[in-house]
Amino acid sequence: MQVSAFVDGELPENEAELLLRRLSQDAELRQAVAEYLAIGRLMRAEPGLAGADRLHERIAAAIDDKPANAIDFAGDTPASRAVRPLAGIAIAATVALVAIFALQQTTGIDELPAEAQLPVVGVVPDIDEQEERRRQFFLNHAETSSQFGANGMNSRVVTLRFSEEVSAQGEDDELDGTDQLGDLDNPADSGEPTTQP
Amino acid sequence: MHSSDLDFGRRLWLAIILLSVNGAVLANKLPHDWLNHMGAAVQSTSYEGTVIRIKDGKAEALKVVHTVKDGVIMEKVVAQEGNGLEIIRHGNEVHCILPDQKSVLVEEWSDQSTLFSTLPSSDIRFGNEYDVSIVRKERIAGREAIMLAIRPHDGYRYGHRIWLDTETSFPLQAQLISEGSAIEQVKFAEIRLNHEIHASALEPSYSTEHFTWLRQPSAHAGTVVEAIWGSDELPAGFRVVSVHEETMEGSDEEITHMLYSDGLANVSVFIAAKSGKVAAGSARVGGSNSYGVEHGDFEITVIGEVPAVTVEQIATSMRQR
Repeated sequence: MQVSAFVDGELPENEAELLLRRLSQDAELRQAVAEYLAIGRLMRAEPGLAGADRLHERIAAAIDDKPANAIDFAGDTPASRAVRPLAGIAIAATVALVAIFALQQTTGIDELPAEAQLPVVGVVPDIDEQEERRRQFFLNHAETSSQFGANGMNSRVVTLRFSEEVSAQGEDDELDGTDQLGDLDNPADSGEPTTQP
Repeated sequence: MHSSDLDFGRRLWLAIILLSVNGAVLANKLPHDWLNHMGAAVQSTSYEGTVIRIKDGKAEALKVVHTVKDGVIMEKVVAQEGNGLEIIRHGNEVHCILPDQKSVLVEEWSDQSTLFSTLPSSDIRFGNEYDVSIVRKERIAGREAIMLAIRPHDGYRYGHRIWLDTETSFPLQAQLISEGSAIEQVKFAEIRLNHEIHASALEPSYSTEHFTWLRQPSAHAGTVVEAIWGSDELPAGFRVVSVHEETMEGSDEEITHMLYSDGLANVSVFIAAKSGKVAAGSARVGGSNSYGVEHGDFEITVIGEVPAVTVEQIATSMRQR
Protein backbone atom coordinates (compact mmCIF):
# COMPACT_ATOMS: atom_id res chain seq x y z
CA MET A 1 0.00 0.00 0.00
CA GLN A 2 2.77 2.42 0.93
CA VAL A 3 4.74 1.65 -2.22
CA SER A 4 1.70 2.11 -4.45
CA ALA A 5 0.87 5.42 -2.75
CA PHE A 6 4.49 6.45 -3.23
CA VAL A 7 4.61 5.72 -6.95
CA ASP A 8 1.23 7.40 -7.38
CA GLY A 9 2.65 10.53 -5.76
CA GLU A 10 0.13 10.30 -2.93
CA LEU A 11 2.36 9.38 -0.01
CA PRO A 12 2.57 12.14 2.62
CA GLU A 13 5.93 13.87 2.59
CA ASN A 14 7.15 12.58 5.93
CA GLU A 15 6.33 8.99 4.99
CA ALA A 16 7.89 9.48 1.56
CA GLU A 17 11.13 10.62 3.18
CA LEU A 18 11.21 7.46 5.29
CA LEU A 19 10.49 5.29 2.28
CA LEU A 20 13.20 7.00 0.28
CA ARG A 21 15.69 6.22 3.03
CA ARG A 22 14.57 2.61 3.07
CA LEU A 23 14.80 2.46 -0.71
CA SER A 24 18.38 3.61 -0.64
CA GLN A 25 19.30 0.83 1.79
CA ASP A 26 16.99 -2.07 0.89
CA ALA A 27 17.65 -3.81 -2.41
CA GLU A 28 14.60 -6.07 -2.06
CA LEU A 29 12.32 -3.12 -1.58
CA ARG A 30 13.80 -1.45 -4.65
CA GLN A 31 13.14 -4.60 -6.61
CA ALA A 32 9.54 -4.65 -5.34
CA VAL A 33 9.11 -1.03 -6.46
CA ALA A 34 10.61 -1.78 -9.85
CA GLU A 35 8.23 -4.72 -10.35
CA TYR A 36 5.28 -2.67 -9.24
CA LEU A 37 6.23 0.05 -11.69
CA ALA A 38 6.66 -2.43 -14.54
CA ILE A 39 3.23 -3.91 -13.89
CA GLY A 40 1.65 -0.48 -13.61
CA ARG A 41 3.21 0.72 -16.83
CA LEU A 42 2.02 -2.34 -18.69
CA MET A 43 -1.49 -1.98 -17.31
CA ARG A 44 -1.67 1.68 -18.14
CA ALA A 45 0.09 1.35 -21.50
CA GLU A 46 1.90 4.58 -20.76
CA PRO A 47 3.58 6.00 -23.83
CA GLY A 48 6.72 7.28 -22.16
CA LEU A 49 8.21 9.90 -19.95
CA ALA A 50 6.60 13.18 -20.86
CA GLY A 51 8.49 15.14 -18.23
CA ALA A 52 9.84 15.01 -14.75
CA ASP A 53 8.00 16.02 -11.65
CA ARG A 54 9.17 16.92 -8.20
CA LEU A 55 9.12 13.32 -7.11
CA HIS A 56 11.81 12.66 -9.65
CA GLU A 57 13.88 15.52 -8.30
CA ARG A 58 13.44 14.46 -4.71
CA ILE A 59 14.40 10.87 -5.38
CA ALA A 60 17.44 11.94 -7.34
CA ALA A 61 18.39 14.35 -4.59
CA ALA A 62 17.90 11.75 -1.90
CA ILE A 63 20.08 9.29 -3.75
CA ASP A 64 22.78 11.86 -4.37
CA ASP A 65 22.80 12.72 -0.66
CA LYS A 66 23.76 9.22 0.32
CA PRO A 67 27.38 8.19 0.72
CA ALA A 68 28.52 6.01 -2.14
CA ASN A 69 28.82 2.89 -0.01
CA ALA A 70 25.19 3.18 1.09
CA ILE A 71 23.94 2.83 -2.45
CA ASP A 72 23.42 -0.64 -3.79
CA PHE A 73 21.58 -0.48 -7.04
CA ALA A 74 23.38 -3.23 -8.88
CA GLY A 75 25.70 -4.86 -6.42
CA ASP A 76 28.90 -3.84 -4.76
CA THR A 77 31.35 -3.93 -7.62
CA PRO A 78 33.38 -0.82 -8.31
CA ALA A 79 31.89 -0.67 -11.77
CA SER A 80 28.38 -0.51 -10.41
CA ARG A 81 29.39 2.23 -8.04
CA ALA A 82 30.85 4.11 -10.94
CA VAL A 83 27.49 4.20 -12.70
CA ARG A 84 25.56 5.01 -9.55
CA PRO A 85 24.34 8.45 -10.57
CA LEU A 86 22.96 7.13 -13.85
CA ALA A 87 21.28 4.20 -12.12
CA GLY A 88 19.81 6.58 -9.60
CA ILE A 89 18.41 8.80 -12.28
CA ALA A 90 17.01 5.81 -14.14
CA ILE A 91 15.09 4.67 -11.10
CA ALA A 92 13.97 8.20 -10.37
CA ALA A 93 12.78 8.57 -13.94
CA THR A 94 10.88 5.31 -13.70
CA VAL A 95 9.14 6.44 -10.56
CA ALA A 96 8.38 9.77 -12.15
CA LEU A 97 6.86 7.95 -15.11
CA VAL A 98 3.94 6.74 -13.08
CA ALA A 99 3.65 9.89 -11.06
CA ILE A 100 3.31 12.16 -14.04
CA PHE A 101 0.27 14.31 -14.16
CA ALA A 102 -1.51 12.85 -17.15
CA LEU A 103 -4.92 11.63 -18.10
CA GLN A 104 -5.33 7.99 -18.93
CA GLN A 105 -8.35 6.21 -20.23
CA THR A 106 -9.01 2.72 -19.05
CA THR A 107 -9.17 0.23 -21.84
CA GLY A 108 -10.90 -3.03 -22.51
CA ILE A 109 -14.48 -1.89 -22.01
CA ASP A 110 -16.99 -0.82 -24.56
CA GLU A 111 -17.48 2.86 -25.07
CA LEU A 112 -20.75 4.56 -25.57
CA PRO A 113 -21.22 5.37 -29.24
CA ALA A 114 -19.51 8.48 -30.50
CA GLU A 115 -22.67 10.51 -30.34
CA ALA A 116 -22.91 9.89 -26.61
CA GLN A 117 -19.45 11.21 -25.79
CA LEU A 118 -18.98 14.50 -23.96
CA PRO A 119 -18.70 17.21 -24.92
CA VAL A 120 -19.55 17.18 -28.60
CA VAL A 121 -21.19 19.66 -30.86
CA GLY A 122 -22.92 18.18 -33.85
CA VAL A 123 -26.21 16.94 -35.14
CA VAL A 124 -28.70 14.97 -33.07
CA PRO A 125 -28.49 11.42 -34.35
CA ASP A 126 -31.06 8.68 -34.54
CA ILE A 127 -30.39 6.79 -31.36
CA ASP A 128 -31.85 3.36 -31.00
CA GLU A 129 -34.17 2.44 -28.22
CA GLN A 130 -31.56 0.64 -26.14
CA GLU A 131 -29.14 3.55 -26.18
CA GLU A 132 -31.96 5.94 -25.40
CA ARG A 133 -32.93 3.78 -22.44
CA ARG A 134 -29.39 3.60 -21.17
CA ARG A 135 -29.06 7.36 -21.49
CA GLN A 136 -32.22 7.82 -19.45
CA PHE A 137 -30.72 5.60 -16.78
CA PHE A 138 -27.50 7.64 -16.76
CA LEU A 139 -29.57 10.79 -16.38
CA ASN A 140 -31.72 9.29 -13.66
CA HIS A 141 -28.66 8.05 -11.79
CA ALA A 142 -26.99 11.46 -11.95
CA GLU A 143 -30.09 13.17 -10.58
CA THR A 144 -30.63 10.71 -7.77
CA SER A 145 -26.97 10.39 -6.96
CA SER A 146 -26.45 14.13 -6.62
CA GLN A 147 -29.18 14.21 -3.98
CA PHE A 148 -27.13 11.80 -1.92
CA GLY A 149 -23.90 13.74 -2.28
CA ALA A 150 -20.50 12.54 -3.21
CA ASN A 151 -19.79 10.71 -6.41
CA GLY A 152 -18.23 11.58 -9.76
CA MET A 153 -17.60 15.29 -9.69
CA ASN A 154 -19.01 15.88 -13.12
CA SER A 155 -22.27 14.06 -12.86
CA ARG A 156 -24.24 17.27 -12.87
CA VAL A 157 -22.56 18.40 -16.05
CA VAL A 158 -23.34 15.03 -17.58
CA THR A 159 -26.94 15.61 -16.62
CA LEU A 160 -26.88 18.93 -18.31
CA ARG A 161 -25.51 17.53 -21.53
CA PHE A 162 -28.20 14.92 -21.58
CA SER A 163 -30.77 17.56 -20.82
CA GLU A 164 -29.73 19.59 -23.79
CA GLU A 165 -30.63 16.77 -26.08
CA VAL A 166 -33.96 16.40 -24.38
CA SER A 167 -34.56 20.06 -25.08
CA ALA A 168 -33.67 19.65 -28.71
CA GLN A 169 -36.10 16.79 -29.11
CA GLY A 170 -38.75 17.67 -26.57
CA GLU A 171 -41.03 20.11 -28.31
CA ASP A 172 -43.85 18.92 -26.07
CA ASP A 173 -42.07 20.47 -23.12
CA GLU A 174 -42.35 24.02 -24.34
CA LEU A 175 -43.73 26.51 -21.90
CA ASP A 176 -44.79 29.60 -23.68
CA GLY A 177 -46.67 28.99 -26.87
CA THR A 178 -45.98 27.31 -30.14
CA ASP A 179 -44.72 30.08 -32.36
CA GLN A 180 -41.08 29.86 -31.31
CA LEU A 181 -40.29 26.26 -32.07
CA GLY A 182 -38.84 26.74 -35.49
CA ASP A 183 -35.27 26.56 -34.31
CA LEU A 184 -35.85 23.27 -32.56
CA ASP A 185 -37.87 21.51 -35.21
CA ASN A 186 -35.98 18.40 -36.14
CA PRO A 187 -32.48 19.78 -35.98
CA ALA A 188 -31.09 16.55 -37.39
CA ASP A 189 -32.93 17.11 -40.65
CA SER A 190 -32.25 20.80 -40.81
CA GLY A 191 -28.56 20.31 -40.21
CA GLU A 192 -28.64 22.91 -37.48
CA PRO A 193 -25.89 22.25 -35.00
CA THR A 194 -26.92 21.42 -31.48
CA THR A 195 -25.18 20.17 -28.43
CA GLN A 196 -25.66 16.58 -27.52
CA PRO A 197 -24.27 14.01 -25.15
CA MET B 1 12.36 55.72 20.94
CA HIS B 2 9.82 57.22 18.59
CA SER B 3 6.23 56.06 19.17
CA SER B 4 5.82 55.06 15.50
CA ASP B 5 8.83 52.76 15.89
CA LEU B 6 7.08 51.14 18.83
CA ASP B 7 3.88 50.70 16.80
CA PHE B 8 5.85 49.18 13.96
CA GLY B 9 7.59 46.81 16.38
CA ARG B 10 4.27 45.72 17.89
CA ARG B 11 2.75 45.19 14.47
CA LEU B 12 5.75 43.17 13.38
CA TRP B 13 5.54 40.92 16.45
CA LEU B 14 1.80 40.57 15.99
CA ALA B 15 2.35 39.56 12.37
CA ILE B 16 4.99 37.02 13.40
CA ILE B 17 2.69 35.58 16.08
CA LEU B 18 -0.22 35.37 13.66
CA LEU B 19 1.94 33.69 11.03
CA SER B 20 3.20 31.21 13.61
CA VAL B 21 -0.31 30.43 14.78
CA ASN B 22 -1.47 30.06 11.19
CA GLY B 23 1.42 27.72 10.45
CA ALA B 24 0.68 25.67 13.55
CA VAL B 25 -3.01 25.46 12.63
CA LEU B 26 -2.06 24.33 9.13
CA ALA B 27 0.32 21.74 10.48
CA ASN B 28 -2.20 20.47 13.03
CA LYS B 29 -5.16 20.18 10.71
CA LEU B 30 -6.24 16.63 10.10
CA PRO B 31 -7.53 15.45 6.72
CA HIS B 32 -11.06 15.37 8.14
CA ASP B 33 -10.68 18.98 9.23
CA TRP B 34 -9.71 19.94 5.71
CA LEU B 35 -12.71 18.12 4.26
CA ASN B 36 -15.04 19.76 6.77
CA HIS B 37 -13.63 23.18 5.99
CA MET B 38 -13.87 22.45 2.29
CA GLY B 39 -17.57 21.68 2.65
CA ALA B 40 -18.15 24.97 4.41
CA ALA B 41 -15.99 26.88 1.91
CA VAL B 42 -17.89 25.51 -1.09
CA GLN B 43 -21.13 26.67 0.51
CA SER B 44 -20.03 30.16 1.42
CA THR B 45 -17.16 31.28 -0.81
CA SER B 46 -17.67 33.73 -3.63
CA TYR B 47 -15.43 33.03 -6.56
CA GLU B 48 -14.82 33.98 -10.14
CA GLY B 49 -12.45 32.23 -12.48
CA THR B 50 -11.75 29.85 -15.30
CA VAL B 51 -12.21 26.14 -14.81
CA ILE B 52 -10.64 23.52 -17.01
CA ARG B 53 -12.63 20.31 -17.09
CA ILE B 54 -11.00 17.22 -18.54
CA LYS B 55 -12.84 14.03 -19.27
CA ASP B 56 -12.38 11.23 -21.77
CA GLY B 57 -9.26 12.94 -23.04
CA LYS B 58 -11.17 16.08 -23.94
CA ALA B 59 -10.68 19.41 -22.25
CA GLU B 60 -13.09 22.28 -22.04
CA ALA B 61 -12.84 25.65 -20.38
CA LEU B 62 -15.65 27.19 -18.39
CA LYS B 63 -15.90 30.71 -17.00
CA VAL B 64 -17.49 30.53 -13.58
CA VAL B 65 -18.93 33.21 -11.33
CA HIS B 66 -20.44 32.10 -8.01
CA THR B 67 -21.72 33.91 -4.99
CA VAL B 68 -24.23 33.42 -2.19
CA LYS B 69 -26.49 36.33 -1.26
CA ASP B 70 -28.85 36.01 1.70
CA GLY B 71 -28.49 32.27 1.53
CA VAL B 72 -29.40 32.13 -2.17
CA ILE B 73 -26.86 30.66 -4.59
CA MET B 74 -26.20 32.81 -7.64
CA GLU B 75 -24.03 31.29 -10.29
CA LYS B 76 -23.08 31.71 -13.92
CA VAL B 77 -21.15 29.17 -15.96
CA VAL B 78 -20.20 29.92 -19.55
CA ALA B 79 -18.66 27.34 -21.88
CA GLN B 80 -15.71 28.88 -23.65
CA GLU B 81 -15.89 26.54 -26.62
CA GLY B 82 -18.60 25.02 -28.76
CA ASN B 83 -22.04 26.55 -28.81
CA GLY B 84 -21.55 29.19 -26.09
CA LEU B 85 -23.72 27.38 -23.56
CA GLU B 86 -24.52 29.46 -20.48
CA ILE B 87 -25.89 28.22 -17.18
CA ILE B 88 -27.45 30.84 -14.95
CA ARG B 89 -28.47 29.74 -11.50
CA HIS B 90 -30.64 31.69 -9.10
CA GLY B 91 -31.36 29.61 -6.04
CA ASN B 92 -32.67 26.25 -7.14
CA GLU B 93 -33.83 27.47 -10.53
CA VAL B 94 -31.33 26.95 -13.29
CA HIS B 95 -31.53 28.40 -16.80
CA CYS B 96 -29.44 26.67 -19.44
CA ILE B 97 -29.15 29.07 -22.35
CA LEU B 98 -28.40 27.54 -25.73
CA PRO B 99 -27.71 30.55 -27.95
CA ASP B 100 -27.37 28.55 -31.15
CA GLN B 101 -30.79 27.03 -30.49
CA LYS B 102 -32.24 30.33 -29.33
CA SER B 103 -33.68 28.42 -26.41
CA VAL B 104 -33.56 28.37 -22.64
CA LEU B 105 -33.96 25.15 -20.69
CA VAL B 106 -35.30 25.61 -17.15
CA GLU B 107 -34.42 23.06 -14.49
CA GLU B 108 -34.82 22.74 -10.75
CA TRP B 109 -31.60 21.74 -9.01
CA SER B 110 -31.66 20.84 -5.36
CA ASP B 111 -27.95 20.49 -4.75
CA GLN B 112 -25.58 23.22 -3.81
CA SER B 113 -23.17 23.91 -6.62
CA THR B 114 -22.80 23.28 -10.31
CA LEU B 115 -19.19 22.26 -9.98
CA PHE B 116 -18.68 20.98 -6.48
CA SER B 117 -21.93 19.47 -5.30
CA THR B 118 -20.47 16.02 -5.31
CA LEU B 119 -17.09 16.38 -3.66
CA PRO B 120 -16.24 13.94 -0.89
CA SER B 121 -17.19 14.93 2.62
CA SER B 122 -15.78 14.01 6.00
CA ASP B 123 -18.81 11.77 6.56
CA ILE B 124 -17.11 8.98 4.67
CA ARG B 125 -16.14 6.11 6.91
CA PHE B 126 -12.44 6.47 6.30
CA GLY B 127 -10.44 3.49 7.40
CA ASN B 128 -12.98 1.01 6.08
CA GLU B 129 -13.10 1.37 2.32
CA TYR B 130 -10.86 4.43 1.94
CA ASP B 131 -7.89 6.12 3.56
CA VAL B 132 -7.36 9.84 3.42
CA SER B 133 -4.05 11.61 3.85
CA ILE B 134 -2.47 15.01 3.46
CA VAL B 135 0.19 14.58 0.82
CA ARG B 136 1.97 17.90 0.28
CA LYS B 137 1.63 21.54 -0.60
CA GLU B 138 1.56 22.66 -4.22
CA ARG B 139 0.58 25.74 -6.17
CA ILE B 140 -2.66 25.70 -8.13
CA ALA B 141 -3.98 28.70 -10.02
CA GLY B 142 -1.24 30.79 -8.46
CA ARG B 143 -2.33 29.93 -4.92
CA GLU B 144 -0.84 27.70 -2.27
CA ALA B 145 -2.82 24.48 -2.01
CA ILE B 146 -2.72 21.40 0.16
CA MET B 147 -3.16 18.09 -1.64
CA LEU B 148 -5.38 15.43 -0.09
CA ALA B 149 -5.41 11.87 -1.40
CA ILE B 150 -8.32 9.53 -0.83
CA ARG B 151 -7.20 6.02 -1.65
CA PRO B 152 -9.57 3.08 -1.93
CA HIS B 153 -8.67 -0.21 -0.28
CA ASP B 154 -9.68 -2.29 -3.29
CA GLY B 155 -10.37 -2.12 -7.01
CA TYR B 156 -14.14 -1.68 -6.64
CA ARG B 157 -14.00 2.10 -6.33
CA TYR B 158 -12.02 5.10 -7.49
CA GLY B 159 -9.64 7.30 -5.58
CA HIS B 160 -9.76 11.05 -5.35
CA ARG B 161 -7.16 13.79 -5.19
CA ILE B 162 -8.22 17.20 -4.02
CA TRP B 163 -6.16 20.37 -3.82
CA LEU B 164 -7.53 22.83 -1.28
CA ASP B 165 -6.58 26.48 -1.00
CA THR B 166 -4.62 26.67 2.26
CA GLU B 167 -6.13 30.04 3.12
CA THR B 168 -9.80 29.28 2.52
CA SER B 169 -10.01 25.45 2.11
CA PHE B 170 -11.70 26.06 -1.23
CA PRO B 171 -11.11 23.23 -3.76
CA LEU B 172 -8.88 24.47 -6.56
CA GLN B 173 -8.51 21.12 -8.27
CA ALA B 174 -10.12 17.71 -8.00
CA GLN B 175 -9.33 14.45 -9.75
CA LEU B 176 -11.05 11.11 -9.97
CA ILE B 177 -8.33 8.47 -9.86
CA SER B 178 -8.26 5.01 -11.41
CA GLU B 179 -5.11 2.94 -10.95
CA GLY B 180 -3.01 5.98 -10.21
CA SER B 181 -4.21 8.04 -13.17
CA ALA B 182 -6.78 10.81 -13.36
CA ILE B 183 -9.83 9.86 -15.44
CA GLU B 184 -11.78 13.04 -14.71
CA GLN B 185 -10.67 16.33 -13.35
CA VAL B 186 -11.77 19.86 -12.71
CA LYS B 187 -9.10 22.50 -12.18
CA PHE B 188 -9.09 26.24 -11.81
CA ALA B 189 -6.64 27.86 -14.20
CA GLU B 190 -7.20 31.21 -12.52
CA ILE B 191 -9.46 32.24 -9.68
CA ARG B 192 -10.39 35.18 -7.50
CA LEU B 193 -11.80 34.25 -4.12
CA ASN B 194 -14.11 36.26 -1.88
CA HIS B 195 -14.12 39.50 -3.81
CA GLU B 196 -17.26 41.46 -4.50
CA ILE B 197 -19.26 40.11 -7.41
CA HIS B 198 -21.49 42.59 -9.20
CA ALA B 199 -24.98 41.59 -10.22
CA SER B 200 -24.10 42.26 -13.86
CA ALA B 201 -21.54 39.43 -13.77
CA LEU B 202 -24.40 37.01 -13.13
CA GLU B 203 -26.63 38.23 -15.95
CA PRO B 204 -26.98 36.26 -19.22
CA SER B 205 -24.71 37.42 -22.01
CA TYR B 206 -27.59 37.11 -24.44
CA SER B 207 -30.98 38.72 -24.66
CA THR B 208 -33.32 35.76 -24.17
CA GLU B 209 -36.48 37.74 -24.78
CA HIS B 210 -37.30 35.97 -28.04
CA PHE B 211 -35.84 32.61 -27.12
CA THR B 212 -37.96 29.50 -26.68
CA TRP B 213 -38.25 28.56 -23.02
CA LEU B 214 -38.49 24.88 -22.16
CA ARG B 215 -39.07 23.38 -18.76
CA GLN B 216 -37.30 20.14 -18.01
CA PRO B 217 -39.63 17.51 -16.53
CA SER B 218 -39.25 17.29 -12.78
CA ALA B 219 -36.84 14.81 -11.31
CA HIS B 220 -37.76 11.16 -10.98
CA ALA B 221 -39.44 11.35 -7.60
CA GLY B 222 -40.95 7.86 -7.52
CA THR B 223 -42.43 6.00 -4.59
CA VAL B 224 -40.38 4.56 -1.77
CA VAL B 225 -40.70 0.77 -1.70
CA GLU B 226 -39.14 -2.09 0.19
CA ALA B 227 -36.12 -3.74 -1.37
CA ILE B 228 -36.97 -7.19 -2.70
CA TRP B 229 -33.76 -7.41 -4.72
CA GLY B 230 -30.20 -7.63 -3.52
CA SER B 231 -26.74 -8.48 -4.77
CA ASP B 232 -25.20 -11.82 -3.85
CA GLU B 233 -21.73 -10.41 -4.44
CA LEU B 234 -21.98 -6.84 -3.31
CA PRO B 235 -18.49 -5.31 -2.92
CA ALA B 236 -17.59 -4.57 0.70
CA GLY B 237 -18.84 -1.32 2.15
CA PHE B 238 -21.76 -0.73 -0.23
CA ARG B 239 -25.21 -0.55 1.31
CA VAL B 240 -28.68 0.34 0.06
CA VAL B 241 -29.51 4.00 0.67
CA SER B 242 -32.79 4.25 -1.27
CA VAL B 243 -35.26 2.11 -3.20
CA HIS B 244 -37.94 3.66 -5.40
CA GLU B 245 -40.55 2.58 -7.90
CA GLU B 246 -40.34 5.01 -10.79
CA THR B 247 -41.98 5.54 -14.14
CA MET B 248 -39.77 5.68 -17.19
CA GLU B 249 -39.87 9.03 -18.89
CA GLY B 250 -42.23 9.09 -21.86
CA SER B 251 -43.95 5.81 -20.99
CA ASP B 252 -46.01 4.05 -18.32
CA GLU B 253 -43.29 1.52 -17.70
CA GLU B 254 -42.56 0.97 -14.01
CA ILE B 255 -39.02 0.27 -12.86
CA THR B 256 -37.35 -0.33 -9.52
CA HIS B 257 -34.43 1.97 -8.78
CA MET B 258 -32.06 0.97 -5.98
CA LEU B 259 -29.18 3.21 -4.96
CA TYR B 260 -26.13 1.72 -3.29
CA SER B 261 -23.42 3.83 -1.67
CA ASP B 262 -20.16 3.23 0.13
CA GLY B 263 -20.26 6.77 1.47
CA LEU B 264 -18.34 8.18 -1.46
CA ALA B 265 -19.25 6.28 -4.61
CA ASN B 266 -22.90 5.79 -5.59
CA VAL B 267 -24.23 2.98 -7.76
CA SER B 268 -27.75 2.80 -9.20
CA VAL B 269 -29.46 -0.48 -10.02
CA PHE B 270 -32.44 -0.26 -12.39
CA ILE B 271 -34.70 -3.31 -12.58
CA ALA B 272 -37.41 -3.54 -15.23
CA ALA B 273 -39.65 -6.23 -16.63
CA LYS B 274 -38.14 -7.89 -19.67
CA SER B 275 -38.79 -5.76 -22.73
CA GLY B 276 -35.84 -6.36 -25.03
CA LYS B 277 -34.77 -2.76 -24.55
CA VAL B 278 -31.86 -3.35 -22.20
CA ALA B 279 -28.50 -2.25 -23.57
CA ALA B 280 -26.59 -5.39 -22.70
CA GLY B 281 -22.95 -5.25 -21.70
CA SER B 282 -20.81 -2.37 -20.60
CA ALA B 283 -20.59 1.31 -21.48
CA ARG B 284 -18.71 4.24 -20.08
CA VAL B 285 -18.84 8.02 -19.89
CA GLY B 286 -15.74 9.43 -18.18
CA GLY B 287 -15.54 7.70 -14.83
CA SER B 288 -19.15 6.50 -14.97
CA ASN B 289 -19.65 2.89 -16.00
CA SER B 290 -22.77 0.92 -16.79
CA TYR B 291 -23.56 -2.74 -17.29
CA GLY B 292 -26.81 -4.24 -18.57
CA VAL B 293 -27.93 -7.84 -18.32
CA GLU B 294 -31.08 -9.93 -18.57
CA HIS B 295 -32.01 -12.03 -15.56
CA GLY B 296 -35.04 -14.30 -15.96
CA ASP B 297 -38.04 -12.12 -16.65
CA PHE B 298 -36.16 -8.97 -15.76
CA GLU B 299 -33.63 -6.58 -17.21
CA ILE B 300 -31.01 -5.10 -14.91
CA THR B 301 -28.90 -2.04 -15.64
CA VAL B 302 -26.28 -0.88 -13.14
CA ILE B 303 -24.66 2.57 -13.39
CA GLY B 304 -22.19 4.29 -11.12
CA GLU B 305 -19.04 6.34 -10.75
CA VAL B 306 -17.09 3.16 -10.07
CA PRO B 307 -14.83 0.90 -12.15
CA ALA B 308 -16.38 -1.36 -14.79
CA VAL B 309 -15.77 -4.46 -12.68
CA THR B 310 -18.00 -3.12 -9.91
CA VAL B 311 -21.07 -2.46 -12.05
CA GLU B 312 -20.66 -5.79 -13.81
CA GLN B 313 -20.32 -7.74 -10.55
CA ILE B 314 -23.38 -6.07 -9.05
CA ALA B 315 -25.47 -6.45 -12.23
CA THR B 316 -24.73 -10.13 -12.62
CA SER B 317 -25.32 -10.94 -8.96
CA MET B 318 -28.70 -9.24 -8.42
CA ARG B 319 -31.31 -11.70 -7.15
CA GLN B 320 -34.88 -11.48 -5.84
CA ARG B 321 -35.08 -12.09 -2.09
